[in-house]
Order: sequence, then structure tokens, then C-alpha cells
Amino acid sequence: MASPATPADRGLPGAMPGRSRLVPWLLAAPLLVGLAVFALYPFLDILALSLSKSSLGRPFQHWPILANFLSLARSEEFHAALLRTTIFAVPVSLAELVLGLGIALLLHSSLREARWVHSLILLPLMTPPMMVAVAWKLILAPVGGLLNGVLLGWGLADSPVSFLGTMPAAFLSIAVADTWQWTPFIAILAYAALQVLPDEVFEAARVDGASPAKMFWYVTLPMLAPTLLAIFLLRVVMAFKLFDLVYGLTFGGPGFSTTVASFKIWRTALQEFDVGLAASQTLVFAVLVSLVTLPITWLHRRSEEWAG
Amino acid sequence: MKHLDPRGRRGLSMPQTRRQFLGTAAAAGAAALAGSGTAWSAPDLAGVTLNLMVIQPHVTGGRIIAEAFGKATGAKVNVLPVPNDQIQQKATLDVQSGSNVYDVIDYWYGLLGALADDGTVIDVTDRIGKDFAGADLLPAIYDPYTLYDGKRWGVPYDGDSHVLFVNTEILERNGQKAPETWDEYLATAKAITEAEKGKGIFGTALLGVKQPFMIGCSYANRLAGFGGRFLDDAGKPVLDSDISIAAAQAMLDVAPYALPTPLETGFEQGLPAFLSGKAAMIEFWTDLGVNAQDPKTSQIVDKWNVVQIPVGGANKQHRGSLDAGFGLAISAGSKQPDAAWELIKFACSKAMNLELTLTPGTGIDPIYTSVLDSPEYRKAAPKVQAAAAQALHGALAWPTGASASKMLQSLADQLALVLDRSKTPRQAMQDAQASWLGIMNG
Repeated sequence: MASPATPADRGLPGAMPGRSRLVPWLLAAPLLVGLAVFALYPFLDILALSLSKSSLGRPFQHWPILANFLSLARSEEFHAALLRTTIFAVPVSLAELVLGLGIALLLHSSLREARWVHSLILLPLMTPPMMVAVAWKLILAPVGGLLNGVLLGWGLADSPVSFLGTMPAAFLSIAVADTWQWTPFIAILAYAALQVLPDEVFEAARVDGASPAKMFWYVTLPMLAPTLLAIFLLRVVMAFKLFDLVYGLTFGGPGFSTTVASFKIWRTALQEFDVGLAASQTLVFAVLVSLVTLPITWLHRRSEEWAG
Repeated sequence: MKHLDPRGRRGLSMPQTRRQFLGTAAAAGAAALAGSGTAWSAPDLAGVTLNLMVIQPHVTGGRIIAEAFGKATGAKVNVLPVPNDQIQQKATLDVQSGSNVYDVIDYWYGLLGALADDGTVIDVTDRIGKDFAGADLLPAIYDPYTLYDGKRWGVPYDGDSHVLFVNTEILERNGQKAPETWDEYLATAKAITEAEKGKGIFGTALLGVKQPFMIGCSYANRLAGFGGRFLDDAGKPVLDSDISIAAAQAMLDVAPYALPTPLETGFEQGLPAFLSGKAAMIEFWTDLGVNAQDPKTSQIVDKWNVVQIPVGGANKQHRGSLDAGFGLAISAGSKQPDAAWELIKFACSKAMNLELTLTPGTGIDPIYTSVLDSPEYRKAAPKVQAAAAQALHGALAWPTGASASKMLQSLADQLALVLDRSKTPRQAMQDAQASWLGIMNG
């Protein structure tokens, strides 16, 4: 079959040969320029920095090429930070997904009309992360902290518990604070997804005598799976970038026990001022995040196929 | 270095004193302000705007300087605060990015080498030679605060050292006295904590947060007390020496008897605990003496004393440690370095140093021998004056090379592992030594 003729081919007025090929590029130009400025240039800059010896004040002093990466390969501290980040990001995101879905189901079924509840659960999400850290630090402080006050007051502890100065309490404290802050985010997205599920399917299931539990497992969850996996993917990526809570609550301590990748990179760049090494850490970290999120992306695609 | 924002007074008629000072500065314009005593002629800087970067605790002092300098010269000075731990990145990025916002930088002396090396501040060797010749700047701080690579890069602005503050009421109640040695300090802390822990009162507040200004200071106090140092005469680290390890051990030994928990104790935990009578001792900067007497911020007015940092091991000579301490430098991005220098001369002058030292909330300590020994300072803070004067003789200076901030953070990391009991003091100090050697060798 012959391809349809372009205006130029047909000799239409105003049409110019070659113009047709240029138009799509012209239309895409703003996006391409934006991508080049905001994505490609920073990436190339980080790549160049990672291959150089660079301080904050004197970038690109010389080019040891792989020295930074070789240094990372030998750095047990950095390996531990990557592992710690993964151990934090995936389970905590999963816990938040489960909790968030539970809250969404509750809102959807029992509290549909209670709009004030919707506003209330969004409060943690609207709190700036550093303020979340400050609030939890006050709650968990050994002296004068709310939680220690309760524990000591009720006789559950005979001396103050150091939640942020001992392990694994410090790590768990960050996980709890993170869960408190981000569960509403998942809840609100899951709630929105629940709202658009087709009523007819549930109606049919009810007619067939499905119990609420079976309805959830065989109807709600499969239809919701693509959205939940998308939310989970988003949340995992965000959790990998954990910084504020570590900075505010433990500063990476005790020792290095809560030093996650973002905090480690920040320290390398803005406390030790080794910008070249920090750039190489950033690239390695990006690779790790990509590797960890690949299975989730694959699952998301499959779930869309199943749901389709 | 100061961490409170007290709004109280010290019992002096400060508002009047300050008004008089500002009036004098504005009217005279030729007050003898230069450190050398050379007459400082106020230049006509009408229409000039200068941006002064100060750390957060120096804001009050910065505003006093801005107002007085403005009256004297006609210049407008904007005081731009930055967090303590962001001096280097703010100053460096300002120059790097070409923003060139800052004219004068309030720098921690430990960063001097890095700032100079990165071309963030300019060489002021000739300017100092001309305008501060013969100034009686405290010998203990002059070189550490200004000298790097054989050149001068700034002028001392805030002379800082730690002294030991004690709550006399708690000590007396427990039959204790202010400790002279680190062993006595440990015994005192232990006795008080064991006796009064149930009432929420502890023997000491040990700053142990994993930052050089906190755990680094706690360690440096002990290193100075034990007669140790960070670097030998050849500039090589000696962190794995017996003295260095003993200093780390002394810090670890007292941790169980300190406000819980040292790893979580920073300024914002330690200070309120001491000022509310919950901690019997705290090693802190001399200006705490001003705040301890201020009823607005303190519940221990007239119930405290200050003594020198204890001694330890074979060392019998009391010696302070230059924990923090600040100077003023001209930013390499300044478009008006001469005007910026005039501001530095004014801010670091003897008269202004005295004024700021006597004003609560400025966080400024003496930088001149004559200010430290002045009758005004003696009258305003007699206990602190005596301890500070003694502490600053032969005080232990921290490293100031180009990699100093990286080295000190690495040391803080290892010390935190000691308090965390993840490493023994010996292991940690050996690792710190290896880390420093690695950093210094590039």
C-alpha cells in the first residue's frame, strides 16, 4: 500500500519540501532543550566530576579517571551505607504500603463521609521533614523526652532509654518516624485508586455471595495491584533518598549505624568537600537504586497485563 | 563560640554603655580603634553596601558592628547569618558560583587552610602588617586563627576556649569540690550521678554528638589536659600516642555518669541541663558565664563557678584547648575589598572587641591581651576572666590545614565509635591516625 502523500508531495500551497520532517523536531524542541539543560548537563557534570579530583572550591584539579571508583570499591563504609539504605528502603516502603492501604480501605468503607479525617491524616505529610525530625527527637530524647517520660512514669523502665544513641533502636526510630510521615501519602493515593474501581464488579461478586475477605483478595487487590505497585515503586525511590530524618535524628550515628547513602554522599561533598568522590558515590548509588527498582518495574508491567 | 540567644543583662548598665559606644563611634569617626592603637580615621563609605556573613551565634554582635560602622562611615552593612556547620560551603559556593554576595566572612579557624587553598578568601598579610602592627592580639590565637602557608588570611574576631563550669550547689550537697584532674572529675561525676540520678540530676553533661564542635571539643579538652597534641613538630599526626589514647579513654570512662546519653548530647541538650541544675558540670565556652548569671536563661544564678580544664596523666600544667574560635576574612568574591577591610578593622578593633565581650548574647570573647585583662571585663565576669586568662596560655590549637575539616570529622567519627563502644580507645585512635595520614597524603 502506498504511503499517504504529504502536503508537500501533493503540491499544496504553503507546503515546503523538508518542512514536514522538521516540524516534529521543532515541536519537541522545548522538551529536548529542557532535558538537555536539566538532565543531560547535570549528568555529564557529575560524570566528569566523578573522574576527577575535585574539591568544592577547586573542581577538576586533575584527572585520575578511575581513582574515585577504586576508592569506593575499597570503602567498606560506603558498601555498608548502600546495604543499610536498601535494608531501610524496601521493608519500610512495604510496611508503609500495607498500612497505607489499610487506612485507605478504612476511609473508603467506613469513613467516606468524614472529610475531617482525610484532612487529619494528611498532617504528617504536610509537615516539613526537618520538623518531623525535630518533633521525633523531642519525643525520643532520653532526658525530658515524651516517650521516656511515659516509660519512667509507668515504671516500664528504671533509667532513660537511648532510642537514638543505641542500635537497633536508632534505626527503628528512623523507620517509625518515616512511616509516620509517609504512610498518609500512600493512603491518599490508594484511596484515590479505590474510588475509581468499577462498582459493577463488586456488585457481581456480592451477588455471587463473596465474603468481604474474598472480595478483597480476589477482586479489590488484583484490580488495585498495578496502582499499588506504582505507588510502591515511587515510595521505594523516595525512601532510598532518605536524608532529613537521619540528619535531624541521629546524624548517621551511633557510630555509622544509620549512615545511609544520601547522608554519606552529603558528608563527602559538603563536610569533607571531596566533590569528585561524592559524584562517583552518586553514580554508584543511582545504579543501585536502578537495580533494586527493576524487579518492581517488571512486576508493575506484569500486573498491568494481568489486570488488562 | 556561643549557642544561646540570651536577651538578659549581666548586671552592668549595658544599654547605656552601648549607646555611649555607638555614639562615640559615630561622632568621633576617628576613635582609636585599630588594634595597634593607631588612630582609625573613619572613611567616607556613604552609598557603599557590605555583606557580612556571620555564624548564627554571632548575629547579635554582627548587628552591633553593622550599626556602629554605619554611623561612623555611612556604609550599610547587611548581616547575613549561616549555620555553624555551613561556613565553608556557603563561602566557597558564593565565590565558585560567581554570586559574590559576601564581602566579609566570619570563619572558624579550623577552616582557614581550606578557604585559603580554595581561593575563597584573600591574602591580607600586607594589610595586617600595616594596620595591626604591634597589636596585642592574644599570642595563643593569633597564628592559629590567621596563618596558613606562611601568609595571613584573616584577623581574629572571637577568641574561644573551653573552661569547666560547675554547679557549686550540687557539688557542696554531695561533698565534692571542683575537680583539678580528670581522675577527680570522673570521681565527682560518678558520686553525683549515683547519688542523684533518681532525681534526674547527673554528674556532668558530656558533649558527644558526632561533630567536631561537640565530641571533638570534649576530646580536645582531655588531650590538652593530658599534655597531648594533634600533630608533632613536623606536622605528623600523633593520634595513636599513649597520651591521645588516654584522653579518649578518659572521655569514655565518664560517659556512664553523664547526662544520658553523651552520643545524643549537643548544645541544645547540655546547656539547658546545666542551666536548669540537672548537670553538675559542663565543659563549655567562656561566655556561658554570662548566661549562667542571667535569670532569664538560668536557674543557677550565683550557684556556679568556673575552673580551668582539668589536667591528667603526667601533665600538671593546666592548659586550655582552642575549641572553635573565629576570625574575619575578605571574601575573594568581594568587589570592594578595601571597604571590606575597613569593616574588619573596625569589627576586630580593641574597642569593639571590648564592647562585644561585655554585651550579653554576642558570643564574643577577648582577642586582645589588654581586653582579657581589662578592668571592665574583670568586673563583668571575674570568674570567667581568671579561668580564660589561664586557659589561653599555651592553649592547644587544632589543625588548620587544607584538609582540616575532613580530618576533624574523621576524628569525630572515631570518637563516636568509642562512646558507642564499637571500638576501644586504642583501636579508634589508631584508625583515626591512619585516616589522618591517608587524608594528608592525598
